[in-house]
Amino acid sequence: MTSRVWSLFALGLLLMNIDVVHADDTSLTAEELVGKVLDQTRGLTSYSELTMTVNRPEWTRSSSFTVWTRGREDALIRFTAPPRDVGNATLKKGDQMWTFSPKIKRTVRLPRSMMSQGWAGSDFSYNDLARSDTLLQHYELAIVEDQLDGNQTIYTIEAVPLENAPVVWGKEVLKLRDDYVLLEHSFYDQDLKLVKWIETQEITTFDGRPIPKKLRMKNTDDEEKWTEVEYTHAEFDVELDDNKFTLFSLRDSN
Amino acid sequence: MKHALLSRVSLIYSLSVRNLWRQRRRNTILLVSVICAITGVVVLNSLIRGMQLQMVDQVVYNLNGHITLHAPDYRSDPAITRGFIADSNELERKLESVNLSGWATRIKIPAVVMSERETRGVQIVGLDPVQEHISIVADLPIEGTFLVDSADNRIVLGRALLTQLRTKIGHRIVLVMQDINSKSIEVGFQIAGAYDSDSEGMEKHVVFVGKDALQQFLGSESITELSLRFNTRLIPPNGLETISNAFPNLEVVDWKNIDPILAFMYESVNAMVYVWLAIVFTALVFGLMNSFITAVLERTQEIGLCKSMGMKSSLVLYQVVTESLIIMFLGLIGGLLLSWGVLQLLGDGIDLSAFAAGVEMLNLAPRIRPAVVWQDINIVIVATVFLALVASLYPAIRAVRLDPLVALRD
Repeated sequence: MTSRVWSLFALGLLLMNIDVVHADDTSLTAEELVGKVLDQTRGLTSYSELTMTVNRPEWTRSSSFTVWTRGREDALIRFTAPPRDVGNATLKKGDQMWTFSPKIKRTVRLPRSMMSQGWAGSDFSYNDLARSDTLLQHYELAIVEDQLDGNQTIYTIEAVPLENAPVVWGKEVLKLRDDYVLLEHSFYDQDLKLVKWIETQEITTFDGRPIPKKLRMKNTDDEEKWTEVEYTHAEFDVELDDNKFTLFSLRDSN
Repeated sequence: MKHALLSRVSLIYSLSVRNLWRQRRRNTILLVSVICAITGVVVLNSLIRGMQLQMVDQVVYNLNGHITLHAPDYRSDPAITRGFIADSNELERKLESVNLSGWATRIKIPAVVMSERETRGVQIVGLDPVQEHISIVADLPIEGTFLVDSADNRIVLGRALLTQLRTKIGHRIVLVMQDINSKSIEVGFQIAGAYDSDSEGMEKHVVFVGKDALQQFLGSESITELSLRFNTRLIPPNGLETISNAFPNLEVVDWKNIDPILAFMYESVNAMVYVWLAIVFTALVFGLMNSFITAVLERTQEIGLCKSMGMKSSLVLYQVVTESLIIMFLGLIGGLLLSWGVLQLLGDGIDLSAFAAGVEMLNLAPRIRPAVVWQDINIVIVATVFLALVASLYPAIRAVRLDPLVALRD
């Protein structure tokens, strides 16, 4: 899952919790919408449990893992199921990543060349996990649509990369609810053809915050290929050990 | 005295010519076989040498140069952190006295290239287009445009890579690489053009960007290599030493070290050429010897007569040796002329494009152009004369040892 997505919905939750400005956020620009969200997520810690389903034409596989995050930079992911993957862990600090497998008792720092490969066999690449947020830095953002859905506004934000930005996409389109729940995030190639998208399939409330409970990453190349991530539990602003995001902690499966 | 020697030589010569002329048919066949052997050796040798030099050209031409200079630890871990600063005025001054066709400063570092749909590992080559007349870069057919100058912040990649990445000229791709602080950075490049190359490996793995532009992204003034190309096809005898002395702080690598497999092939071709020469000439020597033994046996009575009339043994010996020398000498001239003709015909080279895959694997050019190496021709000439002596010596000694009484009685 992209840290962007994480930040967005984590932030959504946070904002909800402190009872955000529903009334006057119609005046917010796209940058402010996204920017506010990103700024507010700094320093946030979280603990969550998720299940991930990877679907391929020939097979489907489910796994479960626990995620601790601190701010936007640090994350530790540890698998809890299926049995053969238990203890496998990934640590992200800044834009560097390490993995640990208890079977070989070895920590491996991921070389750049591997960062684009699927993480744990899913449609999310290591890059999707590791990339720091670039939406504000490298994109021109614009609200192209706001639509009233019941008593909530749904914003469609188009993000077009700046000239020579280190971005492969032609544009990205985000659909955000005014309580900052991300509904959809689509990636278009430079011919503006849709390549892949993440859609929120279920929204729930954890720890008093609305979050997209179930997300699915799909791509246009193959309908049968998708990855779904579902939150089974989430807590926010939890107390975390300072050494939670260290290589030592990565190896320690307890 | 001098006059006596001269008349003796002319006597030997006219005797030999007459003897040869008596057996016109046999000696013509002999001559033709010598011509064929020499032509075969020279033409094939030129082709092999041509192939061998083209292998070297390929390496030298292929963004290496005859000699490449790096910072000492660059080759074990190619990164911009292991580059060096090269001031072009200073380079100019140091390389002034060396007979170079040109030099180029480059940055070669590994990177990961990403498009919307694919990701591949590549080697970035940051270059200054003006300096690249010494390398393949100048001759690559380009669709779109090549980099305009060293500050051009676009990218040129191989057609095979373009296809793999499923992207297009004009689109943007992202390169992930390590900057001068070993931090990984992502840089977006617009694709200026795509090149075609004989080597698919190159098309897939080598991308070109402007050197100055790349230096800016990497936050460094360094380059990772200085590449030199001499005016000659091979490195001149003291070339390596001169360069090493001029750049004591850099690691100097010649093409043999850049591509050890090729260097091994190059050396084995050297050995092969001499083995091949030895085989052909050994066969030739026995053929010749056989003919001369026959010639001597035929003339047993005649030689016996001459000897009993007082002809000196040495004269008999010289006579046979001279016959052999004449045949070989004519054969040599005929062979060289014929080779020259054949090589003229082959001037354009032999087209191997039908076997492109194999040719590429062996690092050969798709067209073999023969190359005449004078050293080899000299060896052929010396060997021919030497063989003429060797081949005639045994028959000549047999002739000398003939007992005139026995010879006349038969």
